[in-house]
Amino acid sequence: MKFDNRPDPDALLSALEEERKNEGRGQLRIFLGMSAGVGKTYAMLRAAHQKFKEGLDVVVGVVETHGRVETLALTEGLVILPKKKIEYRGTALEEMDLDEVLRRHPDLVVVDELAHSNVSGSRHEKRYQDVLELLEAGIDVYTAFNVQHLESRKDAVEAITGIPIRETVPDSILEVATLVELVDIAPTELLKRLKDGKVYLGDKAERAAENFFKVDKLTALREIALRMTAERVDQELQKFVSTRSEGSPWQTNERLLVALSHSPYSEKLIRATRRLAYNLEAPWVALHVDTGLTLNDTDQGQLVKNLNLARELKAEVITTTDVDVPSAVRRICRSKNVTQVIVGRPTRRWFRDIVEQGNLLDRLVQESLEVDVHVIRQEGTSLKRPSVTDEISYYRSKTGFAKYWYTFCSILVVSLCGGVLESFIGYRAVGFFFLLAVIIIGMFGSVGAVIFAAGMSALIWDYFFIPPKMTFAMSNSEDFLMCIAFFVVALITGFLTNRMRFHEKVMREREERTNVLYEVLQDIANATEKSDFLNKVTLRVGNLLSATCGVVLKSTNGSLEFEDARAFSMRLNEKEQAVAQWCFENKKSAGWSTDTLSQSESLFLPLKGTSETCGVFIFQPIKKTRKLDLEKESLLFSIVRQLGVSIEKHFLTKRLIETQRLKDSEELHQTLLNSISHEMRTPLTAILGAAAALENDEMTGDAKYVKEVASELHGAGDRLNRVIENLLDMSRLNSGVLSLKLEWHDFSDLLSVVVKKLEKPLLTHKLNINFLENIHLVKMDFRLMEHAISNLILNATMYTPVGSEIKITQKKNDTHFVIEIEDNGPGIPEEAINKIFDKFYRVPGSPTGGTGLGLSIVKSIIELHKGNISVRHLQPKGTSFIIELPLEKQPDLPIENQS
Amino acid sequence: MSKNIRIMIIDDELAIRNTIKMSLESNGYTIGEAINGQEGIRLVSEFHPHLVFLDLGLPDINGLEVLKELRKWTRVPVIILTVTDDEQTKVNLLDAGADDYLTKPFGSKELLARVRVALRNVGVIEATPVFNSDDLEVNLSQRKVSVSGIEVKLTATEYEVLSRLVRDHGKVIPQAVLLKQVWGTAAEDQSHYLRIYINQLRKKIEKNPSEPKHIITESGVGYRII
Repeated sequence: MKFDNRPDPDALLSALEEERKNEGRGQLRIFLGMSAGVGKTYAMLRAAHQKFKEGLDVVVGVVETHGRVETLALTEGLVILPKKKIEYRGTALEEMDLDEVLRRHPDLVVVDELAHSNVSGSRHEKRYQDVLELLEAGIDVYTAFNVQHLESRKDAVEAITGIPIRETVPDSILEVATLVELVDIAPTELLKRLKDGKVYLGDKAERAAENFFKVDKLTALREIALRMTAERVDQELQKFVSTRSEGSPWQTNERLLVALSHSPYSEKLIRATRRLAYNLEAPWVALHVDTGLTLNDTDQGQLVKNLNLARELKAEVITTTDVDVPSAVRRICRSKNVTQVIVGRPTRRWFRDIVEQGNLLDRLVQESLEVDVHVIRQEGTSLKRPSVTDEISYYRSKTGFAKYWYTFCSILVVSLCGGVLESFIGYRAVGFFFLLAVIIIGMFGSVGAVIFAAGMSALIWDYFFIPPKMTFAMSNSEDFLMCIAFFVVALITGFLTNRMRFHEKVMREREERTNVLYEVLQDIANATEKSDFLNKVTLRVGNLLSATCGVVLKSTNGSLEFEDARAFSMRLNEKEQAVAQWCFENKKSAGWSTDTLSQSESLFLPLKGTSETCGVFIFQPIKKTRKLDLEKESLLFSIVRQLGVSIEKHFLTKRLIETQRLKDSEELHQTLLNSISHEMRTPLTAILGAAAALENDEMTGDAKYVKEVASELHGAGDRLNRVIENLLDMSRLNSGVLSLKLEWHDFSDLLSVVVKKLEKPLLTHKLNINFLENIHLVKMDFRLMEHAISNLILNATMYTPVGSEIKITQKKNDTHFVIEIEDNGPGIPEEAINKIFDKFYRVPGSPTGGTGLGLSIVKSIIELHKGNISVRHLQPKGTSFIIELPLEKQPDLPIENQS
Repeated sequence: MSKNIRIMIIDDELAIRNTIKMSLESNGYTIGEAINGQEGIRLVSEFHPHLVFLDLGLPDINGLEVLKELRKWTRVPVIILTVTDDEQTKVNLLDAGADDYLTKPFGSKELLARVRVALRNVGVIEATPVFNSDDLEVNLSQRKVSVSGIEVKLTATEYEVLSRLVRDHGKVIPQAVLLKQVWGTAAEDQSHYLRIYINQLRKKIEKNPSEPKHIITESGVGYRII
């Protein structure tokens, strides 16, 4: 440590505070005491008063005065929020009104008794979770609790006081805190206060004095509290120095790993590891190896509890599947660069060591040379082994009675065969038949069946085959030894084959899981629309985990869209909506099987992308009684994670297209201003000029003159209208929301409509239309195609000299319906031919009156119809536009009776 | 006789009202004007017009609503003035009881032609069984069709299509209506039936089928016969 570089503690604290503030989170100040009665609440309220005087909005969320007069007096002057009443099993209980605090959003809220467990039916199970949410909302919190409630110190305190501690707070809360303040008085002083009735009232005080308040105990507790505070202060400083100087949050290269199981003893291991890691300032990993043992509900519950504890204590929790625990531990150690491994004392019986090839501790010590192995001491409690039946039952598979029945039958058959063959091969050889049968049963049956088969065959062999027959007695010791050996060999080989099969099963399950994930990824990759893969994935997950699944997505305005009626969207009632909303806002899972709002029937998981939450995944299990097992849970989590990222990607693409479109339209806008203003002003000038001409009294008498002005007006009006029509078309095509109204149409009919519309401009040109012999229907949007064709014909009339010929030909080849529009005008210059379909491109030197939009509109329309348009020169002169539309099977016609 | 014919214009734009008024008055029609929907509905009941021009984009109520209101108590022909050339809007208007529509901008020739068509039906309660237009004659009572005096053989369905057009000659018949009335409700979206039969009809009754003079296609909306 660089003591010389140590910054001034005050500067450090303010820097830390500053950092927190920047994150937009509230600050947490913890008043820590060694036991009840040290004056935490008192100190906390005084500090709150101080802030109140400074002008902050301070409210009391919850405070326990325990009838202490001094403390009660201190609440005066502060706003005390009324508590929320929650009905639980007939009695109304009171809890802090979290929603009210969030709504009121004070600067500072006082929340006493951090370790308190909320009444079932509250949003969170524990009060500290309420506090975390308050902090998240940017509200400062003052809180208090005793050191005995700290998760990692629980064991130590229990050992000192002998009183079990139920309510705990995870150590991570200390890391959230900006300031931890120790409220300390000497134990003798505390005892005096107890005697004066300042701590507990009446006989409660006496009972407390008998059980808990002893000088030695209090001193020990005080030591824990003081040491903890000291550790924390030291760490803050170190962290500060290290982050400033080296950039790595960890002081050492150490990394710890704790191997945990479904044993309650694992809790101690986890706490011990956390303590070690904390002192070493090293990151730590909690590993659970799923060997496929069949756990009963209690064990399953304990395992989940252990994992959650590790998670709460900020471990990196890893679950892996492997039949061999030591090799799994070694594998993870290597991949995570672990330097120290913490394991428990082996508790299991000898036969499990045989089955699993030695216990974890021995094999780790022998095989892992690169790591330190710690075995944690066990204070007080003696090593408690699980019962034999429990241990055996770990190996049972989920098969029913049928396996035993089949085993029974096959052993009987083998016995009968043995009976027939005995006279030829002798009774000893019959034993080998039995052995073979047990091995085969091991391959197909469960462990129970193997034991059953081994026992039954040993007994049958003894009774029916080993002389003297029809008794269990044996005439010579050789036979006795052989029978025993037979039983052991049968049992072990049976076990081993069974294990092999099990290994296979584990592999298969792992493969299945990978497959499911792969399929989900495939679903996502193959779908172009978000709703496509969401439908598929929700269905797939639902079938796989027997649940109803749904997704509620974020709408464009950033809130959840509950009214979405698409298939993947779930109908939620008001309560569920509230849970989903909470889950979405806090980016944490909520509902069934979690600590938050666990009354809900569904599990709500936030769909997190890399930078934002895109919605909520709803998992409504069909059976609500059993929690998901680890495998399924992790599968569900990985799918949801994948889904979150994919949805975010889709959101982003959508937004990208949106921005691109905005950019395009901005560009369009700009070009419009430049080019269109000219195109609009020219005809407008003509109109204004014509109006002025008509005001001229002298000339209005001249009929010829008036007619001339009128035709001028007409021309200018038409031109203006054309500009506007093109602009409208362009913006419609550009907006990307245009949907084609595809219907069968007769192309000849369309041509006649166009020709009629362009009657006037066509007066100056010769028109030559070649129709197909028979009617040919084309699927198209009539109005759009009309615009396209009329644009092309109009161009031909505008850019060719008067009297030129325009030839329109319809053709059909194998794949396309082709329309050719030819003229014998001067043609398009070579260098312009590639650009004529670009927006706003106009061939240099062409006559005025165009916007440069016409052909780009034509191209867009043809492409919308999945066709294409090309242009080529004609010999000796002229231009030909060729439109090709995909040929489609002609529709059927109704049969008609001729009359 | 035009003097006795009253035409009502409901449009908030003075320029449009003036343009229509100028064209119509010079042809001897009597004009009434309203500048919004409310006033329009009131004035129609007082002015008793033979024809109403109704703008779709009125400041107070949507033109479509005005049309529906009018249709509750009068069958006076209504021509809608609109700036959109969206087919669906037009079909909706025709469904709601409009007789015709004119897309802005329009010329006075077109305007007068539409007025004549719309007024042709006025006062004629029973449609004449014979439709005459240039060389085409359709006799609905005898089911006979002739071009320049020569009788034309039509199939039953061809005749059905033609007679449906003739019964409301001059008016646009939406294609969905034609399909439904000739082929039944199930055929409502089988637009290709219509294309084929219109094509066949034109070949039989038009002099130049590629430039039809009688059966006119209204882009994306339907057909009319003139």
